Amino acid sequence: MNRTTGSRLTRRLGALAVVTMAIALAFGLVFSPPEVAQRDAVRLMYLHLPTIAVAYLGFFITMVGSIVYLRNGSVFWDLVAGAAAEIGVVFSVFLIVSGALWGKPTWGVYWQWDPRLTSTTVMFLMYLGYLALRRLDLPPDVRSRRAAILGIVSFGNVIIVRYSVQWWRGLHQGQTLGVDTQLDGLMLFSLFLSLVAFLLVAAWLLIHRFRVAWLEHQLTRIGFERALAERRGDLGGGRVGEEAR
Amino acid sequence: MTDRPIDPSNADPVDEFDLPDDGAWPGPSLDLTPAEYLDRPRRRWRNWAIMGALALVAGFVLVQALTNARVFFLNVDEAVAQRAELEGETFRMQGTVVDEPRTGADGSLLFTVAFGGEEAQIRHIGDEPSNLFELGEAVVAEGRWDGEVFLSTQVLVKHSEEYVEDNPDRVDYELEDTAEDAG
Amino acid sequence: MHWEFVIAGYAIVFVLLIAYAAAIVQRGRRLSEQVPENKRRYLD
Repeated sequence: MNRTTGSRLTRRLGALAVVTMAIALAFGLVFSPPEVAQRDAVRLMYLHLPTIAVAYLGFFITMVGSIVYLRNGSVFWDLVAGAAAEIGVVFSVFLIVSGALWGKPTWGVYWQWDPRLTSTTVMFLMYLGYLALRRLDLPPDVRSRRAAILGIVSFGNVIIVRYSVQWWRGLHQGQTLGVDTQLDGLMLFSLFLSLVAFLLVAAWLLIHRFRVAWLEHQLTRIGFERALAERRGDLGGGRVGEEAR
Repeated sequence: MTDRPIDPSNADPVDEFDLPDDGAWPGPSLDLTPAEYLDRPRRRWRNWAIMGALALVAGFVLVQALTNARVFFLNVDEAVAQRAELEGETFRMQGTVVDEPRTGADGSLLFTVAFGGEEAQIRHIGDEPSNLFELGEAVVAEGRWDGEVFLSTQVLVKHSEEYVEDNPDRVDYELEDTAEDAG
Repeated sequence: MHWEFVIAGYAIVFVLLIAYAAAIVQRGRRLSEQVPENKRRYLD
């Protein structure tokens, strides 16, 4: 029973995600038309934009989880925050890779330090720092509290990245999806489909990643409890921890 | 408390450990730092190594961002207006290509960009632009003023957030528009 | 046109994505074995 982090929910979600992704790929790579100027390079949009959405969403969940954890010390939310951040970082790698490969044939370069790309790099680094912080050898509650603060502060980066194309001039184009969406019919549909597919995949990943985090947490707790038990056993009922303080 | 070694595969349904279900840490006191945690030799150096590495990378990015921020991003009309002050300075100029690009005698790429009512001649000596580069496209050229001509080392094609399907019908549509404009 | 970039992009992302998913599931299996059955899931 439960020899894995899978469940009926994740199996169904996973199946749905795979099917939706297959259809999304069909539309993105085959059925959707090339763009008038970019030609087939535009198909990278159906990869690039959804990975951005997942990254933003992941970091948003981290912020929410961090806030809830700080307010009531809920370990569940602390672990959710950590899991979501890791997924966000992974998808940040995807968005940078897909963006670079889209930039080379269209702009002419894989990279330029323009406001959006620069702020995206900073965002990526901050969350990498957040993940590193979670691995520091500190008392668990201290570590979680500091991580939570960083998790909230780091979301500022996401806001900056999101609005960088509006606030500053640069090479990167403006928001594709917004009040004034300028995407022809089948392209818009393909993008929407890819978005849904990636969100389903992200949900699946989050559930599994949270469950892994919970298992790690359980193991650590068992380790502590075991040590505490030994200590109590050694000293015939005395509680070293309390007396020493 | 029992002395048996813990074997998860045949653990009783009854709690082997006194672990609260909500995930809270074990231990009698509210101080969540169990004594044996404090006993453990701390791998401090590892913490510093991680933070140090990240600080280095962050520093690199910051330097890049700041030095590139000094590469001004100007539209053609602004660049023309500030030509005197920009003497010798490298910056980026943004505009739309308004004439057919041609190759100069020295192999450089020659074309004109316009923005905000002003035009500028560009002599591009850097790498060939991507194949999106053509009349009507918006470009970002990096370089400096060389007299009245902008000497550029990099020409990037900037595309807007407007995405237009490429299909046969569209050609007729555009020809119609052009005919209307001309007529 | 530009298909090599499109293929490269999709290939790299999906290979990494599948690898990441597999790693999580693998780790989940390994950890599940070490934790007593009744303690494996939150809200069990």
